Amino acid sequence: MMRIGFLINPVAGMGGAVGLKGTDGKVEEARRRGALPLAKNRARITLALLAQNKNLEFVTCSGIMGEDTLRETGILHYQVLYILDGESSAQDTRRAAQMFLKTGVDLILFCGGDGTARDIFDAVGREVPVLGIPAGVKMYSAVFAIDPVTAAELVVGYETQPLRDSEVMDVDEEAYRSGELKTRLYGIARTPALAGKIQSSKQVYEEGDEERAKGEIARFIHEIMIPDVVYILGAGTTTESIASKKGVKKTLLGVDAIKNGEIVATDINEKTLWTLLEQEQEAKIILSPIGAQGFILGRGNQQISARVVRRVGIGNIILVATPHKLRETPVFYVDSGDPVLDKEFGDSVLVVSGYRMAQRKKIHQS
Amino acid sequence: MQTKILLDEEQMPKKWYNVQADLKSPLDPPLHPKTQKPIGPEDLSAIFPMELIRQEVTTDRYIDIPEEVQDVLRLWRPSPLYRAHRLEKFLKTPAKIYYKWEGVSPAGSHKPNTAVPQAYYNMKAGMERIATETGAGQWGSALAFATMLYDLECTVYMVRSSYTQKPYRKSMMQVWGAECIPSPSTKTNAGRAMLEKDPDTPGSLGIAISEAVEDAAAHSNTNYALGSVLNHVCLHQTVIGLECREQLAMVDDYPDVVIGCIGGGTNFAGISFPFAGDKLTGKHKDVDLVAVEPASCPTLTKGLFTYDLADEAGYTPLLKMFTLGHDFVPPSIHAGGLRYHGDSPIVSRLVYDGVMRAVSYHQNEVFEAAKMFARSEGIIVAPETSHAVKSAIDEALKCKKTGEEKTILFNCSGHGNFDMSAYDAYYAGSLVDYEYPDELIKESLARIPKIS
Repeated sequence: MMRIGFLINPVAGMGGAVGLKGTDGKVEEARRRGALPLAKNRARITLALLAQNKNLEFVTCSGIMGEDTLRETGILHYQVLYILDGESSAQDTRRAAQMFLKTGVDLILFCGGDGTARDIFDAVGREVPVLGIPAGVKMYSAVFAIDPVTAAELVVGYETQPLRDSEVMDVDEEAYRSGELKTRLYGIARTPALAGKIQSSKQVYEEGDEERAKGEIARFIHEIMIPDVVYILGAGTTTESIASKKGVKKTLLGVDAIKNGEIVATDINEKTLWTLLEQEQEAKIILSPIGAQGFILGRGNQQISARVVRRVGIGNIILVATPHKLRETPVFYVDSGDPVLDKEFGDSVLVVSGYRMAQRKKIHQS
Repeated sequence: MQTKILLDEEQMPKKWYNVQADLKSPLDPPLHPKTQKPIGPEDLSAIFPMELIRQEVTTDRYIDIPEEVQDVLRLWRPSPLYRAHRLEKFLKTPAKIYYKWEGVSPAGSHKPNTAVPQAYYNMKAGMERIATETGAGQWGSALAFATMLYDLECTVYMVRSSYTQKPYRKSMMQVWGAECIPSPSTKTNAGRAMLEKDPDTPGSLGIAISEAVEDAAAHSNTNYALGSVLNHVCLHQTVIGLECREQLAMVDDYPDVVIGCIGGGTNFAGISFPFAGDKLTGKHKDVDLVAVEPASCPTLTKGLFTYDLADEAGYTPLLKMFTLGHDFVPPSIHAGGLRYHGDSPIVSRLVYDGVMRAVSYHQNEVFEAAKMFARSEGIIVAPETSHAVKSAIDEALKCKKTGEEKTILFNCSGHGNFDMSAYDAYYAGSLVDYEYPDELIKESLARIPKIS
């Protein structure tokens, strides 16, 4: 029996349809503009596919935060752990998630957007795996399934499938409304990953769990690192494992620089990075794209700006990602803020995915 | 409009063609892994019968195929040569496409062409048992079939991941009376060492080779057999190309392009060596010989031409060949038979000398080609073979552009009847386009100081 903590952010996605680019602090405005709650419709698709599954046990929140939708899809055996009083808020999401954590669940399944993901991450961190049914206005976080149907598949296969690291993104909604996209990497959660559905190839080198895959990537990058070249390492656990293979400690969420096996700078902003590059003969950038959403540049790593990329050269960007992450990232995006530079990436990129191993992935052409 | 070009049984080749006779200079010798000195016949006699050791090094142009071997080969040989009229029409190409269909053998591929003589020579030498390895199971099943014919016992070390995921190849070995053991196993030092290091290892061909070699060396009644790479294996496969040349002559044709997929190299060697001989001796200087490899394991297009080990543990001699390094474990492509870090030393040499050339393709594009082939010619080919199909289609499409009426010949080396899960993965969109990151590797290698 698998215990799932289920919650809906009932207002998620409401701002999008009425041009508000996000619902944080704008629920009333959205309602006035005629927005209807949409999240429950998305959650219903997933739950309907899980309704007959006898292996699942749900704990949830009262009313519109979960209970109503469970009942509507015919799931009658559940336990309400959190009572919603009045309008739902970010605080409710956090409290409910804390309750799930406290009473013990195998997985938190939620329906919402980036804001909801962030609130849940605040409450549970990496202690409980989290899976999002996409319903928000913006979904830059990697905790979301591609669609509600895939979310159901991931729940059903949960016990036999591996977990992957997934980026939780923080999007500045005020800035976003004024036409500026400011994202920053907020944290790295754990999310169930689609196992390669058909893995019965003739001779399979199974990549095993994600930690092993990260180790293999790090082993390879370690082998090809060249003396006297400064390496700019983007955020994430894959780049972190590269640094630790070199024997140095890297910030998980920041951009760091190493050279000849030593840390040169940590958590660098764009300006510092630029200054650093002006002093360096040769540099390479090692980046891991954001899982599922596939952004190489422009989401959560704005430090690596267009001028930084030009200075280093596109050819000196080394992309790394575990096979688990790549499996759920069908297409990659580049959004450096400079469309001419974005085009220069071409229509595909090579992503290092193991020891002397890479995958060719398509870049979305706008 | 003739579709099948058939030879009578008595037209089956009576001799194998040895391309070593026509090389401009001899091959670089295999070196002993410990002393790094050229090995002699005695170094190999612990695991191979003397006749195969002789065939490994001889420069005689032709070698007789024993009557008892011919008797067995006649179960499916001569194999048919097809003119791919429907594929040509589908592609609207002026080119003529021929394919040699090796899927008619009992094991479903070209592998029995060498399994049978190898089992025969071992029987003649008084051996009672043969140990071998198999990756995907093609070779293991072929050798199981061949050893049964000559009353030999057969032990097959099968890469563990395939052992659990490819149950039908294992079943075939059982029907033909062979013992099939998942590798790494606890039966050998190499296997035990690997399991101690990593109990969850999926295994690899390099480890399985080490196990089989160790088994053979440790038992006086047991020899080792290899299904690819070595010169004598290439030699046995030349029946394919020799038959093709006769069959094409029957319709007054000769190929402009000869194509085969390449893992260890013997299926490509089989179809191409007789034509390489024509090229080397000046009879047909312009014939284009194309080896097709996966982008994930691009030994010929991206590897180095140097001495390297043929296995993981270092039991085998050092061979001068194109290699990606014996410690390289290629990713999990469905064309398991093409996942090998090295290549046949003869093919390597001919590519190095410019007599042959190599191209590489990603997984998805070769399955696309295989689908096209199945929908025009009907045959569902093995994932390995689909590489050759893809290259043949590309050559035919080039002709469509230029208007050239080239004759294209490719080796349709095996059926894909046990590989339907690979096709399922293709249709599900879950095939990964693995690629060898050679630019990154080369750049780092270039800065390593050379040791003389």
